[in-house]
Amino acid sequence: MKVLQLASRNVIRSSHRTMVTTLAMAFACAMMIVFSSLMEGFIVGSERNIVSMNTGDIQIHQFGYRDDPDIYKQIEQSSELVVAIRQAGLMASERLFAYGLMASDNSSSGVQLRGIDLDFESTVTQINQHIQTGDWLDTADPHGVVIGKKLARLLDVSIGSELVFVGQTADGYMANDSFHIRGVLKSVSAEIDNSGVIMSNTMLQDLISLPDGAHEITIIRSDRNTDLDAAVQTINALVGDDLEVLNWQQLMPVISQFLETAQVQSLIMLLFTYIAVASVVLNAMLMSVFERIHEFGIMKAVGVRPWQLIRIIYAETFIQTLLASILGLLLGVSITWYFVRYGLDLSSLSEGISFAGLALDPVWYAAWSFESLLSPILFLFVMTTVAVIYPAIKAAVIRPVDAIHHH
Amino acid sequence: MNNFLRTKSSYRVLLFLLLSIFSQWITAEPIEQDSERVHDLLNEVDDLWRGKSSYAITTMQVKTEHYTRSMKMEGWSKGKEQTLFKVVEPLREKGTVTLKSGNHIYTYLPKTDRTIKLTSGMMMGSWMGSHLTNDDLVKEARLEEDYDASISFEGERDGQNIIEFSLIPRLDAAVVWGKLVLIVLADSHIPLVEYYYDEDMLLARTISFSDIKMIGDRERPAVLRVVPADKPDEFTEFTYLHLEFDLELNDRLFSLSSLKRR
Repeated sequence: MKVLQLASRNVIRSSHRTMVTTLAMAFACAMMIVFSSLMEGFIVGSERNIVSMNTGDIQIHQFGYRDDPDIYKQIEQSSELVVAIRQAGLMASERLFAYGLMASDNSSSGVQLRGIDLDFESTVTQINQHIQTGDWLDTADPHGVVIGKKLARLLDVSIGSELVFVGQTADGYMANDSFHIRGVLKSVSAEIDNSGVIMSNTMLQDLISLPDGAHEITIIRSDRNTDLDAAVQTINALVGDDLEVLNWQQLMPVISQFLETAQVQSLIMLLFTYIAVASVVLNAMLMSVFERIHEFGIMKAVGVRPWQLIRIIYAETFIQTLLASILGLLLGVSITWYFVRYGLDLSSLSEGISFAGLALDPVWYAAWSFESLLSPILFLFVMTTVAVIYPAIKAAVIRPVDAIHHH
Repeated sequence: MNNFLRTKSSYRVLLFLLLSIFSQWITAEPIEQDSERVHDLLNEVDDLWRGKSSYAITTMQVKTEHYTRSMKMEGWSKGKEQTLFKVVEPLREKGTVTLKSGNHIYTYLPKTDRTIKLTSGMMMGSWMGSHLTNDDLVKEARLEEDYDASISFEGERDGQNIIEFSLIPRLDAAVVWGKLVLIVLADSHIPLVEYYYDEDMLLARTISFSDIKMIGDRERPAVLRVVPADKPDEFTEFTYLHLEFDLELNDRLFSLSSLKRR
């Protein structure tokens, strides 16, 4: 009780020193919170772009379809299969693909038509919420399509523009129809950005005269915390050996490795940041103790025991660290909130990076996570505890006469 | 003895020199003649279906693993660079026009009332669901420009007197084939078969010509059958129902603005 009283009195008495030390720690803490939130945002954002915008957790294809996307390589009885997968407690949706030429008034480009199940696609991906301009598909407007952002620029089109598709139907005739643009997507993947034209699968079936079947079934776990391998096994049991069942890491091996590396990289970066912060904190605490060796000598001379002195120094440190954490948390959270909401706009530096099929948004958003808020604070406490060991012991064992004459 | 040997060897030298000069003379002359003859023959084959200008009615039958279809079309050509096809049947594609003008291919689509210029990315795509690509349409009339032709066989084979041409692409030619082999009848110069080899010199497809009969002013094969080497059960077959040559065709026929009106 007495220790706390003394410590808080010390802290308040030398308000200038307290302020400098506390602010240094608070600033460091805030920076760490912002930095780890940004790293978290990068990893979560990339994974979301892959899994929740496009691949889902697991996909089913006909063997060989991914290497050679032939419209005849369909999944037989896909609608029954999808129902069975849903009954097994997973979300599933069918997709159909076709390739051809899309022409606008001024330009034309090879495109990938993506026919999606409007009722179920939103259960497996969030691509419908990833619209940059315009609206998502609507069953009432079958000729309205949503296209990738780079394709929109390439074709020089905007919402409402007319597009004409030319390709081939499954029975060897010309597939030809006109569409209009309902929406333009944000960055999803290199493939969708550059050539993706999304429409309902019924519209696409009509266009390419393919009455039933799908080329791809995309599956997602209802609860993302359940085991992915177990889900793959469930699907395998339903599907049999005739179809290829792969999880997203197998579908996107380069990106999944890249994200794993990114996680390690961010840990290393954090470590360096922490070390830099630690030296600041260490320095501040050392100064604040050594500055008062004279004072501690007098305290010892009036009968304060070494152990009590250590406790007083630690109490002071904890009061300051607590103060710094609260300040740091407030500052860090508000800066992070800004980056979560508005992002860090890097578009002046580069215009969207795409890497191995993964398109990175030029606006870098931060993401909230429990760890990125808690770990900097925890680290700060550990750091100060370690930092004060040396000066505290030094103060505790010093002979009063030496201390009083210490300058 | 010694003397005799020396004389013999000098004879040998003389003989060798004579032979080499002679053989040079022998080979040099025919090569000169050959290239002119090859040129004339290939032109003759080219002109079989083309002339200065032409009008044709053909049917196209396509059989693939997944579908069988047939269609009927009208075609006009003028010179080597201008060709126009218009689908007459089936109703589903009636009025679809393909215009080849120089290096470009345009398609007019009646359903959407639009004319689309095919991009380079579409060139290897199938033309109207057949075994021909759009690139074939662009390249077909440029054999002489893109290939070095030579006669690789002349004489009797399988009971027929034939001439076999080998066409090797020039180094700077933008072609997808490694070699073309064209076999024509020796006396009438009517083509029998044409083999297309890919860049690895493996047979990629065969075009065979049959049903030789009087069409227009001379005998011509009325049927062309394209068979891809990797899918021997599939084919695209063109049958000429009607063929006319050297008509007066206005250049405007081959202009973009005329596509809609056709």
